[in-house]
Amino acid sequence: MSGQKITIEYNDRVVRQFLLATVIWGAVGMLVGVLIAAQLNFWQLNFATPWLTFGRLRPLHTNAVIFAFVGNMMFAGIYYSTQRLVKARLASDFLSSLHFWGWQFIIVCAAVTLPLGLTRGKEYAELIWPINLMVVLIWVVFAVNFFWTLARRREPALYVAIWFYISTIVTIAMLYIVNHLSIPTSLLHSYPVFSGVQDALVQWWYGHNAVAFFLTTPILGIMYYFLPKAAERPVYSYRLSVVHFWSLVFVYIWAGPHHLLNTALPGWLQNLGMTFSLMLWAPSWGGMLNGLLTLRGAWHKLRTDPVLKFYAAAVTFYGMATFEGPLLSIKSVNALAHYTDWIIGHVHAGTLGWNGFMAAGLIYWLLPRLWNKPLYSTALANLHFWIGTVGILLYVAAMWTSGITQGLMLNATTEHGTVLAYPNFLDTLNTIRPMMLMRVIGGGLYLAGWFLLVYNFYRTVKGAAPVNGTIEVYDEAPAPDAKLSLAGTFFSAPTLFWFLAVGFSSMWMFGTDLVSTAGIVGAVACLIAAFALVPSRSQAWGGWYEKLLLNALPFTLLVFFAVVAGGLIQIIPTVLVQKAKNVEDRIQTPYTPLELAGRDIYIREGCYLCHSQMIRTLVPDILRYGDYSRLGESIYDHPFQWGSKRTGPDLARVGVKYPNVWHFRHMENPRAVSPGSNMPTYPWLFSHALDASVMPAKIKVQRLLGVPYGPRTAQQIFDSMDEQAKGIAKDLRTAGAYVDSDKEIVALISYLQTLGKSLPVITKSAPR
Amino acid sequence: MTPTPKPPLPDENEPLRPHSFDGIQEYDKRLPNWWLMTLFGAVVFWAGYWFYYERAHIGHTNAQIVEQQLAVIEATRLANAPTVDDASLWKMSRNPVFVDAGRASFETTCVSCHTKELTGAIGPNLVDHLWIHGGRPTEIYTTVTQGVLAKGMPPWGPVLGPKKISEAVAYILSYHQEGEPIEVQAAWVPPPPK
Repeated sequence: MSGQKITIEYNDRVVRQFLLATVIWGAVGMLVGVLIAAQLNFWQLNFATPWLTFGRLRPLHTNAVIFAFVGNMMFAGIYYSTQRLVKARLASDFLSSLHFWGWQFIIVCAAVTLPLGLTRGKEYAELIWPINLMVVLIWVVFAVNFFWTLARRREPALYVAIWFYISTIVTIAMLYIVNHLSIPTSLLHSYPVFSGVQDALVQWWYGHNAVAFFLTTPILGIMYYFLPKAAERPVYSYRLSVVHFWSLVFVYIWAGPHHLLNTALPGWLQNLGMTFSLMLWAPSWGGMLNGLLTLRGAWHKLRTDPVLKFYAAAVTFYGMATFEGPLLSIKSVNALAHYTDWIIGHVHAGTLGWNGFMAAGLIYWLLPRLWNKPLYSTALANLHFWIGTVGILLYVAAMWTSGITQGLMLNATTEHGTVLAYPNFLDTLNTIRPMMLMRVIGGGLYLAGWFLLVYNFYRTVKGAAPVNGTIEVYDEAPAPDAKLSLAGTFFSAPTLFWFLAVGFSSMWMFGTDLVSTAGIVGAVACLIAAFALVPSRSQAWGGWYEKLLLNALPFTLLVFFAVVAGGLIQIIPTVLVQKAKNVEDRIQTPYTPLELAGRDIYIREGCYLCHSQMIRTLVPDILRYGDYSRLGESIYDHPFQWGSKRTGPDLARVGVKYPNVWHFRHMENPRAVSPGSNMPTYPWLFSHALDASVMPAKIKVQRLLGVPYGPRTAQQIFDSMDEQAKGIAKDLRTAGAYVDSDKEIVALISYLQTLGKSLPVITKSAPR
Repeated sequence: MTPTPKPPLPDENEPLRPHSFDGIQEYDKRLPNWWLMTLFGAVVFWAGYWFYYERAHIGHTNAQIVEQQLAVIEATRLANAPTVDDASLWKMSRNPVFVDAGRASFETTCVSCHTKELTGAIGPNLVDHLWIHGGRPTEIYTTVTQGVLAKGMPPWGPVLGPKKISEAVAYILSYHQEGEPIEVQAAWVPPPPK
């Protein structure tokens, strides 16, 4: 070792900034969560105000806790640990600052636009297109800053935490861009390029993997750094790290369709989604094992150290949620649980337990180190832990009970299975009311715990001088050894076996007879060869992997190939298949301009957050809502509105089920026609005039996207809207409901009355 | 500020990997067997499941399964279809057990349009002598079962089933007398809202 000894000062300023943002946005996001949970119990809490209504605040809650709370926490953890793991200061102070302020600006934009009803109408992808562009830009800034830092590292090998960070950066970029492809109709509005089943598939490929690569992999990376640090124990198993990392990033991507089980999604995708979700159990538990078993020899410290308490509980909740996930992905379990509170409970076990507790542990551990002052109160931190834990348990137990109860009631039949035992949806809703109240209490406790953290944070840093970490290193170029060329990366036994196994398996899965047979033979041969070679070659393969760890770019490329496979195989066939053929036996009638305008109101108000438009291929769904939904019936829906939760009933076939005046009275005051309903009132729809001027631009984009609208002038569009609206207003008038035909409610009613309208298609072809 | 790494506990002789990262060391323990079995088991399950449903097509598709189940339900309904006639519906309407059961169904399902007093709002009045789709018990039964889509009356047959519908009709009839006049009304004109 030659070279001069120098001292590096880490950029901990940006870490402190992100940490502070985590604390603040965490409080905001959880507060909104408690509010909307309370709104479900007391509809009056919607205050008959557009921007305080559940449908607009729920996206604010999800976006705030995912992207603002966990996002900032992730950046703090990644920047703190990466600098130390690679022994280099963050590459650029400017990029670090831009990353921080850019991300906060995005959050503020989101917090303003979402309550205003500016949304893309896709869950966790609601932000409008100008904000999408900013997110992409800032993510690139993050990526450049991170990889540039890696390029300047003084530590040649990449530690397992860094693997997880790399997979996060690469995969989120891919998912985010594909799911946000849209064509603007104005500065604030756009239509997604995908529609119907394609949009559903892309959405849940994104949605599921946002959970995977935004809420899981970066936090696992953080676990691999901060947990052994806090426990002062070695990581349990490097080998387990390797196996569970690669299996996790490969398998996760395939599991997205489990959000669409028993729907109109083609069966092969449902089967892939279910089986890969089951395969995900072991890789997820690999992370849990490595976390919990690292605590071996340190369990006694849990008694006194709140940080370790949080970590141990977080990892346990991670294990619980990742066992529950595969369980819920089994089609028959899903038939009961999907659209119910069980899913809400599952998600919150992950977010409150895993993400929230990891964040708390991270913050309590970092505070003394970043401000060079002991934590203000360990007792308060311990209290936070206990209040938080009780809060989660109440929340999750309430949601399990609620979801299973409602699922059983909705699916129950009577009279030899020929009719529903509880035909009135509201009976099932009002049965779970006590559990919904329990959820507010549990969430409130969790929030109270968070406020303890806020106070502790404030008291700790008040008057404390921020301090930046330093390290002494030898100023020298990294050892030139062990460069792995691209050929050496890809033409190595482990990589080749991987590619061949995936290739052969795909041939077997999708090929025609001969290709399929070749595929199964190839896959089995691969398997036998790999196992036969393990005893003699495992050392060499291990050596190759260690060499790979010295090479960031080849490593990143391999990660990209691992995550891209599942997406390509699922999405490309679905997107390429001709729309006209992808309809089963029915095809949707395109919306009239007024109906389309009404649909955009439906999306603006977030109706899809409580109402699905997807009657599953399940008897109870069919008995309750009508014939099961066909692919063709949503083929022109940009975006799709299949929904993911039924706080209210499904609306796929609600069109013409009730007279116009029913919807009029219902939107005015849901309880006037549905006693016991918890739906908000929508008085503004009756006073706001519909903005028809935007419709020509919207229809133009719809045509561009392939919706069969004939050419028509703006005037023709306005005339058609006017005529249809007047007809509805007249019908309402005869039923005793008086409203001007230009009001938003008229457009919304026109949309609701068209739901389920479709034409039969003679040529039946089921695409694979 | 980087804390100094602690040496491993002295009583352990498990081999540590040679390299440490910012003081973090790693063991290289064997993968637990039960964990490996879980992973391999899931892979085997995937292959078997895929073969069963997608290659050999032994397992039926969702649509096939549900169509079969619906056929069974249809058959059960046909086999158990009650004979509904005016006389028996009138008889039921005088039986408190039927009427009470009917009231329960009515008050959860029908009141949103016909009101609790049955005097009508969105949907027509059911206690006067005016009937749009026929006022004989079997006609009422048919209207409830099949609905009148053009006027916004949903078909309740598949949702409520014949038993509950008979009870609800009995409840409506309990407000009427056998032999009272039945007048035909063209359309329902709702009263002005309160």
